[in-house]
Amino acid sequence: MSALRLHDVTLGYERHPAVHHLDGMFPEARLTAVVGPNGSGKSTLLKGVAGALPPLSGRIDLGGLRQDEIAYLPQDNGVDRGFPMTLHDLVSLGLWRRRGLFGGIGREDRRRIDEAFAAVGLDGFQGRPVGSVSGGQLQRALFARVLLQDARLILLDEPFTALDARTAADLIDLIRRWPREGRTVIVVLHDLDLVRETCSDTLLLAREMVAWGPTDQALRPENLLKARRLSEAWADHAHACQRTAA
Amino acid sequence: MDAHAAHEHALPLAHAAAGAVALAFGSAPLGVLLVARRMSLVGDGLSHGVLPGAALAFLLVGPDPLALTAGALAAGVLVALLAALLARARRLPEDAGFAVFYLSALALGVLLMGEAAEAEELLHLLFGHAGAFDTPGLLLAGAAATATLVCLALFLRGFLAESADPIFMRTAGLHGGALHMLLMVLVALNLVAGFRAFGALMTVGLMMVPAAASRFWARAYAGQALAAIALSALASGAGLLLASAMHAEPGALMVLSAAGLFALSGLFGPNGGLLQSWPGRAHLEG
Repeated sequence: MSALRLHDVTLGYERHPAVHHLDGMFPEARLTAVVGPNGSGKSTLLKGVAGALPPLSGRIDLGGLRQDEIAYLPQDNGVDRGFPMTLHDLVSLGLWRRRGLFGGIGREDRRRIDEAFAAVGLDGFQGRPVGSVSGGQLQRALFARVLLQDARLILLDEPFTALDARTAADLIDLIRRWPREGRTVIVVLHDLDLVRETCSDTLLLAREMVAWGPTDQALRPENLLKARRLSEAWADHAHACQRTAA
Repeated sequence: MDAHAAHEHALPLAHAAAGAVALAFGSAPLGVLLVARRMSLVGDGLSHGVLPGAALAFLLVGPDPLALTAGALAAGVLVALLAALLARARRLPEDAGFAVFYLSALALGVLLMGEAAEAEELLHLLFGHAGAFDTPGLLLAGAAATATLVCLALFLRGFLAESADPIFMRTAGLHGGALHMLLMVLVALNLVAGFRAFGALMTVGLMMVPAAASRFWARAYAGQALAAIALSALASGAGLLLASAMHAEPGALMVLSAAGLFALSGLFGPNGGLLQSWPGRAHLEG
């Protein structure tokens, strides 16, 4: 895989841009944080990269990556907690790329599933219905599924919201390992200290790009101030955008 | 014709029982999927949506059972596909789309039925006519059950994933839409297979009521589907025996039997039944 490139990408809803004319590159096998105020387009950007939202204009170049080589953990995970399904069923969906719609789950797969459960500290929870575990436990299970997906590009949208410190610390350890395994990770985070501690690169977003590069440079105070000012501009009755690609 | 006499002659109990059991194997597992997706009323909508197809077939061909069945199936599949497409395009919630399409179809059906003067056959479609489980009727019921079980065996993982975690399905590059439409087509097929004998609405009852009751017996899909099949077959058997004893049309009695089983399940079922979670019962250790 080569790097993931954005070519003048605009993403949004009902023609209103949420991410406006974004150009740039997520370097390969690196951990990039996406940071910005509420409503700055972070989740929309991830949705676009994950293929869940087609761009209004511009192009997202996955660098030869196939759609099924991307693991995406959305902020609102969308799992129907009332569905009659066990955590094992949910996590084993991560094997989909290898087993597909029909392939059986063999002994080796079972071992991998159990390993994934152990890696996120959920050993013994395999048979629990998805509706009977806490939000944090479900999030751990979804991380286990990401592990099984064995994806080259991993997109995480505020993965630690509402998690206790211990769970968050466990999952951060997992995430840190991924770039070393050659995986590209893009993670939306709010905790700037955590970003400085864990992420080599940062994209500071406020519907437009404010800064993108090494974390210590991107998170300079003047950039953060600019991000806050930019994100407060929102027009209910906007005109058609005339800006063209630079 | 004396409906009662026709009933005696045309419906050997064994025929109806065989048909009902076939229907249980096809429709009950689908009902469980619909309940899990919070689409319990979709079958109801579909059962009304088949009317214009049946009425049109009646007008064109006359009261030929095969033509009526084919027309009904075509209309049901069309309604299901249109609603699913609309939901996929994310323009409307799926139940709203269903409401639009099945009510339009129902209105069209009423209009067409007005054209067909002697529409007794059509009324049979809605409310059932036990004589309909002749050999072709049985074959259709068996075919619907077979198609359903084969599709479930092949695609169950997809159906479950698509229902429980649609975002995952979409972003993993999988074709959730096609699976969803297949599910709707199977629902329509099973409804049509049952409705000439037991009535469109009663067939929905046999699909949904045992499915709802099965939630009290198991926590995961496989267990619930088995429970729903057993409950549906049991309700059908009880309903048929009651009907032959009372000389009544069996559809309604079958659904009422299912309702009775639902009440029993709600009381005694091990998964959230009333007695199991009775206030004051000692809580567990861990």
